[in-house]
Order: sequence, then C-alpha cells, then structure tokens
Amino acid sequence: MTPAQYETYRAALHLDESTGMQFLYYLRSLLDGTLGYSFKKDAVVSSLIWERLGYTLQITLPAVALSTLAGLAWGLRCGYRSGVPVDMASTVALIILNAVPTFLIGLLLMIFFCFQHRWFPYTGLSSPEATAGSAWLADRMRHLVLPVLTLTLASLPSRYLLMRNTAKKIAEEKYVLYARQRGLPDRTIRFSCLLKNIAPQFVTMTGMSVGSCIGGSLVVENLFSIKGMGKLLTEAVNTLDYPLMQGILFVTALIMALSIVVTDVICVLIDPKVRWGEYIEK
Amino acid sequence: MIPLAAGVILLAGFLLMASAPELLTSYGVKEMFRAWEPASREHLLGTNALGYDIFTELVYGTRETLFVGTVSSVLTLLLGTAIGTLAAYPGVLGRFFNGVMNVFVLLPRLVTLIVLASFLGTSDWNLIMLIGTFSWVGTARNVRAKVIHINEQPFIECCVIQGYSRGHIILHHILPNLYDVLISRFLLGVNSCIMMESTLSFLGLGDLYHPTWGTMINFAYKRGAFIRQAYNYLLVPGVCIMLLSLSFYFISIFFEMRTEAIQES
Repeated sequence: MTPAQYETYRAALHLDESTGMQFLYYLRSLLDGTLGYSFKKDAVVSSLIWERLGYTLQITLPAVALSTLAGLAWGLRCGYRSGVPVDMASTVALIILNAVPTFLIGLLLMIFFCFQHRWFPYTGLSSPEATAGSAWLADRMRHLVLPVLTLTLASLPSRYLLMRNTAKKIAEEKYVLYARQRGLPDRTIRFSCLLKNIAPQFVTMTGMSVGSCIGGSLVVENLFSIKGMGKLLTEAVNTLDYPLMQGILFVTALIMALSIVVTDVICVLIDPKVRWGEYIEK
Repeated sequence: MIPLAAGVILLAGFLLMASAPELLTSYGVKEMFRAWEPASREHLLGTNALGYDIFTELVYGTRETLFVGTVSSVLTLLLGTAIGTLAAYPGVLGRFFNGVMNVFVLLPRLVTLIVLASFLGTSDWNLIMLIGTFSWVGTARNVRAKVIHINEQPFIECCVIQGYSRGHIILHHILPNLYDVLISRFLLGVNSCIMMESTLSFLGLGDLYHPTWGTMINFAYKRGAFIRQAYNYLLVPGVCIMLLSLSFYFISIFFEMRTEAIQES
C-alpha cells in the first residue's frame, strides 16, 4: 500500500477526526440506510447484508418455528402428565441434549448423514446442476434439511424445558383438577386450560428464540459453508472489515429488538388481564 | 442425591485432568509422532495433522477450558450481583440500571462477542473479560427479583428502623440471603460461559497460545479431519464439553432441589 492510498483510506474512514465526530458519521450512515461502506469488498454494507440475509432467514425461521412448536406440543404433554416414564425419559434426554454444543450436533449429523450414508449434501444451499423450477426447489430443500435440523435440535431443549416446567406448575392449579373432575378429555384440558395460560410465556419465548437462533445460525452457516450473514461475518472478521462487522451487529440487534417489540405487542393483545388492566387505569 | 453424585464424580475427573495432566498421559504437548495415526494403544485417540497426540492435547486443554469458564463465570456473578442489587433500588438509580439491563437483554450475545473479540484481539484474558461483561443479564434479573423480595421482609424494616445505613443492610443482611440464587447462577454460568468460549474458539476466535477444546475442534475441522475420517479428533473434545457442562448442571439440580425442600418445610 502506498502512502497516498494510506492517506485516502484514513480520510475515507474519518480516522483523523475525534471519536465524537466519528460516531456522528456512524449515525449518519445508519440514517441514510447504507450502514457504512466496506472498502475490502468495495460495496455498501447494507446491500452486502441484504444479499445474504435471505439465506440466513431460510435457516433461522424454519428452525424457530419447528423448535418452538415441537417444544410447545411436547412440553405441554409432558408437563401435564409429569412424573410418568415418558416425561422422565424425554426430560433427561433433552437435558443431555441441552449440554451439547451446537457445532457438535452439526458435526454428528454431518458425519452420519453426509459421510457415512451420503443422503444429504454437506455444503452450500444449491447444487450447480439444478437451475430452475421444481428441481431447484427440491434441491434447495435437500440442502436445507441438515442446517435446519441442527439449529432445531440445538434450540429445542431450552424451549421444551421452559414449556414443560410452566405447564407443570399450571397443571397443579385447582381449575385443572376441576376440569378433570368434570371428566373432560385430556386433549381439551391441555389445549383449552393449559395452552391459554402459558400463551404469554410461549409468545415471549418465541420472540427470544429468534435472537438465539440467529446466533446459532452463525455456527451452522460456517459448518455447512452456507453463504449467509454468519459466513459474511466470518469473512469480515478474517479480513478485519470493521464497517461490515458493525453493520452486521446493528442488523442482528435490530432484528432482535423488532422481534421482542412484536412479542410484547402480541402479549398485550392476547392477555385479557393486561388489556383490561389498561382500561381500568384510564 | 444421584444427580449430585454423578455431577461430583464427573467434575472430579475433569479437575484431575486439569490439575495433574502429567499423571494421565506420558507424552508432552509438543511431542511429535507420525501424522494422522489411527487410535491405538500408544495413542488412545490417534495423532493429529501435526503429529501431536490427541489425547494429550485433550488432557492439557482441560485446564484452559475450565479456567476460562470459571473465571468468566465469577466475573459474571460479580457484575450481575452488583447491577441486580443496584437495579432493585427505588428511584433514578434503580431505573438507570434497569435500563442498562434491558439494553443488554436485546444484544445478540454471540454476534456482539464475535465482533468485539475481533476488535480487541483474542488473548484468553480478553475472551474472559468479553464473555463476563456480556453474560451477566440473567444473573442480574434473578438477583433483582430476589432483592426486591427480601426488601419487603420485616427484618429489613427492622434494620431501617434501627438506623443502619443502606450499605450495611445490603452487605450484611441482603447479600448473605442471596446465596441460593448465586450458587445456582454460578453453576449454570460456568456452563454457558464454557459453551460461549467453545463456540467462539470453534469459529476461530480462540486464544491459539492456550488451546481449549473448542480450539481443538476448530483445528480438526480446518485441517481435514473429515477427509481423514479422524472422527474422534472432531467429536471427543465436543463430548468432553458436553460432559463438563452436564456435571455442573447436575450439581445445580441438587442445589435447586435443596432450596425447594427448604421452602416446603
């Protein structure tokens, strides 16, 4: 790098100005939606992230949906009838799964499904030969199976344990006993008594799990060489591309904040106590 | 009692590995053999790309893994207790620290840690500091809830009436009553800190001079353990992480059961 180039980049990154001014430049880049300029990749940060965000969401959103729904259904079942062998076995199994790091789950699945049996591809999100139409879709699905499964298995235990413990507490309430006395079938009790009462916790949990799944997808993308936002972050870290790193941090924090705001709004909407409480105050 | 026994036995095994690695393996960390030897009697887990004995690496990595995990968990505990207690204060001070807590809840922990680790460099102390400063939110929330609960008890009212200062009440009457929260948060904190550290190390942000189990898996993954089918090189460090965090989890279950039993009696 020549001294002239050095000076150009120094001026372009505003390194000679005070920290306060640099922060103002950062704020300006947030306001005009560019999130800064990546000199390493020679592109605007927001467009770089926008290109990759879709791939990350293709892994994250199915994993969030699958892990929360499975956690809800199975947790309700086991929490309602806690102490029976099925509950004990699945709780112990998921406690053990909870201690397994995400990358180990990924590695195990990869070794079993890709290297021992060659059932699924182990890298990327599409193969070069499948280009358009239903062949492309099927190919994409096949590529998505293992990453989504890894992320789902990694986030399932905490969802299950939370749902099970909440459901177990509520199952001890008098109204559940009364419902049982009336001879209502278990299904009705589970879905009309328990589900309604753990709904706020469930919604909050779903919102929080968006954040943790995006964190987990960083690992999964690196493991399966998927060109998503996590891979972009690793590239940025390896090339010391600071504007890009800041941009990715900002976008993920924004996604998390948004999902938490949305869940708070949903919680207010579905909980009559909160809704009526506000009316009474007014 | 079964979880406690299982946890203590597992943990004792790992502590032995950490404190006296020479007892378990006769090789040095940098002793070279032929590369990619399969598992055998001489090399329990085989040798790696550079010809180091994998079992030896594993045993010597225990100390680093445990060190990073426990120290950052202690840091988490200190920060969490301080901020949680302050956030339970009425008035502006409490509201301020509550706000700080709410901001930290929103941060995506892994992404923040990756970005900051690459900003600050990846020595093991840097990692400990970073993991510690971004993991205290859960502890602070629990501590805050408990402190608010204790504040309503008659004996605190007694102290106030007798004219003890706030500092005295917090240090001598509130903190000692937090011990059950603190024990369980510490044990679970070691867990999450070890997980965090191994994930960062797996992504290549670990301290290369003090390799932990996560760093080992990163090396294995990068240097082609897949193609060589050296699966034990990839999996055994991960299984060790799992067993270590299970041991802490089991011990914390014991304390939880004990607290429940005390509350019921």
